[in-house]
Amino acid sequence: MATRISSTMPPGPQPSVAAAPPGGIADFDYSNFYYSSSDDIFAIFDPYNEWWYGHARNNGYYLYSQPMSTPPGPRIDLEEQMGHERLHLLNLASYNYLGLSYHPEVIDAAKQALDQYGLGAAGSPILSGTMEIHVQLEKAIAKFKQKDAAMVFPTGYSTNVGLISALMRPGDWVIMDQNVHASIVDGAILSKANVRFFRHNRPDDLEKKLSGTSGKRLVIVEGVYSMDGDEARLPEIVEVAKRHDARIMIDEAHSSFLYGKAGRGVAEKYGVEDDIDIHVGTFSKALGGMGGFVAGSQSLYNYLMGFARSRVFSCALAPAVSAGVLQALHIAEREPQLRETLWSNVAHMRGLLAEAGIDVGESTSQIIPIMIRNDRKIFGIARALQRAGLYLQPIIYPAVAKNRSRFRISISAVHTSQQLDEAATILSDVLQAEGMR
Amino acid sequence: MSGTNGAGGASPEFVKYHFRHAIGGFFEFPTANARKILPPHLHPVEPHHGQSVFSVMAFDFHKSMAGEYGELILSVLVMPRVEPGALLPRSAFYPFLLGTTTKAARDHAIARWHLPHFMENIDLAFDARADEIRIAAAHGGRPIIDMRITDYDWEQVSHRYQCFMHDADGSYMSTIVMDADFSENEEERGDITIHPHAFTAAIDRDSVNTMPFRELWMRDGLQTFHPLETLATAAV
Repeated sequence: MATRISSTMPPGPQPSVAAAPPGGIADFDYSNFYYSSSDDIFAIFDPYNEWWYGHARNNGYYLYSQPMSTPPGPRIDLEEQMGHERLHLLNLASYNYLGLSYHPEVIDAAKQALDQYGLGAAGSPILSGTMEIHVQLEKAIAKFKQKDAAMVFPTGYSTNVGLISALMRPGDWVIMDQNVHASIVDGAILSKANVRFFRHNRPDDLEKKLSGTSGKRLVIVEGVYSMDGDEARLPEIVEVAKRHDARIMIDEAHSSFLYGKAGRGVAEKYGVEDDIDIHVGTFSKALGGMGGFVAGSQSLYNYLMGFARSRVFSCALAPAVSAGVLQALHIAEREPQLRETLWSNVAHMRGLLAEAGIDVGESTSQIIPIMIRNDRKIFGIARALQRAGLYLQPIIYPAVAKNRSRFRISISAVHTSQQLDEAATILSDVLQAEGMR
Repeated sequence: MSGTNGAGGASPEFVKYHFRHAIGGFFEFPTANARKILPPHLHPVEPHHGQSVFSVMAFDFHKSMAGEYGELILSVLVMPRVEPGALLPRSAFYPFLLGTTTKAARDHAIARWHLPHFMENIDLAFDARADEIRIAAAHGGRPIIDMRITDYDWEQVSHRYQCFMHDADGSYMSTIVMDADFSENEEERGDITIHPHAFTAAIDRDSVNTMPFRELWMRDGLQTFHPLETLATAAV
């Protein structure tokens, strides 16, 4: 393996990754510290810190939020947080699906906007924060999505929270796939509408959950689900929702600019774009920036302008980011070969993993979970992967079900075949050494 | 709400119950249903917004101060009580109805732990196989609940829980420690049939999925009740 691991700082104490004895805090996870009743808000802090410093951090949680000092490209540098070693790693953990976050044209566009507009928008988009670059970006997104209008939000999270809470009211129904993103759930909670979850990607359960409801109904799905990398069963879900006269919203955070002949998403791939009432996407994945958008009718735009509180009461997206995202969109439209390269890379990696007998779950997308299915072992494996030169993030309960732990691979168009070969070899070797194959 | 050790007439010793099998299934059900069951001072945990956790547990006790017996427990998972300096429990639950196979076990649990009971004996059959265990609970020949739980990896554990009780006399809590060989999974391979019966009347059966989202199985274990605490709560 060609991976180089350099140490630029004195090595500190190495983390212990030996399996902790069962019982007590070793059995805890984040879910144990969310709910508690007490006479003091702060009473949960001591047990949480005891768990965090006494077990969790040293046994693997230190692998999260390791600060990076390079762009999120195929190879990155980061500072490991226990021994404070600076590591040079092969990166398959970033969402940078088309490699646009550091594309020279994107950087140039952002720099020019920085010179023209300064750092921040200095205002809400409904007051003084709208700049020409925001208007250009919204028009470009609307044209790309073939919709009347598109509205830009400061983040993907605020897009869903602002959109859903703007449209739904107490007594209405939000019926969503059980695996949708937290921002969708939080938007529904904020709206105070009735909430029902249907079993993941099960149109028959959606049918069941829609029955007995009346009035305003909004069915919400994602194009590609971020933990399992599977696509929505969109034609069947759309058919059920329309038969019940429910409105449909799709969040294509992980599929916008990637799926479909023109890159408009999973809805384009299945030919159901016009059957879906509200299209959501983000700029932080394939376009390598930040922010989110809602695309739909002009009437929808007009209403959200007044009632999407997460946008109304936030500063507008930074103009430099807006300009970078706009240029990234131009590149994605101009160079469909980027998507072709991505899907070619995905096929190549899938072949390597299949050849190695590695379990990838139900994934059909550029997100490929490496299923470990062992909550106790995954952090030890994560550390071994990192020491072998591969950067992947472990995903464990409660982000996924118990013992559905996995590593999440994000394939990018900028990965080379050689880099993917190297990653597959590291994965295969480490999983074999850890007794997982 | 605050706790006072040793009140409620309980003696301070720990009470031990030995079991062959203890199994549990967790099911989501509407929080509106949970709120109808819970006393006002207890609050359900919600794995999904608007969805609380309904738990079905069954014990096969072979040695205890109430003798040998089987026990079926319907509970709602609730927020645990966090006290400065106290050990944090793994989770907390409010048993709202128990059924036992003997009168002695029922009388013991009511007097000692203020646990609400179905006041007639039930039949509870365990069928343990290599990788799954089934229970069939019935009363007077009428089925109450059939449940099947599957295994996963096994490990020896010592788990701490909080059990909340509430009756006409007051509100209580006991820490329960479970030492056993333990298996837990969310593979959705188990199943349950909740039959129409007075025992299950508090649950909107149509809202409960036919498979548990979490399956638990303990074998060859010891359940230890810590001394009962009386909770001073304005909501009693």
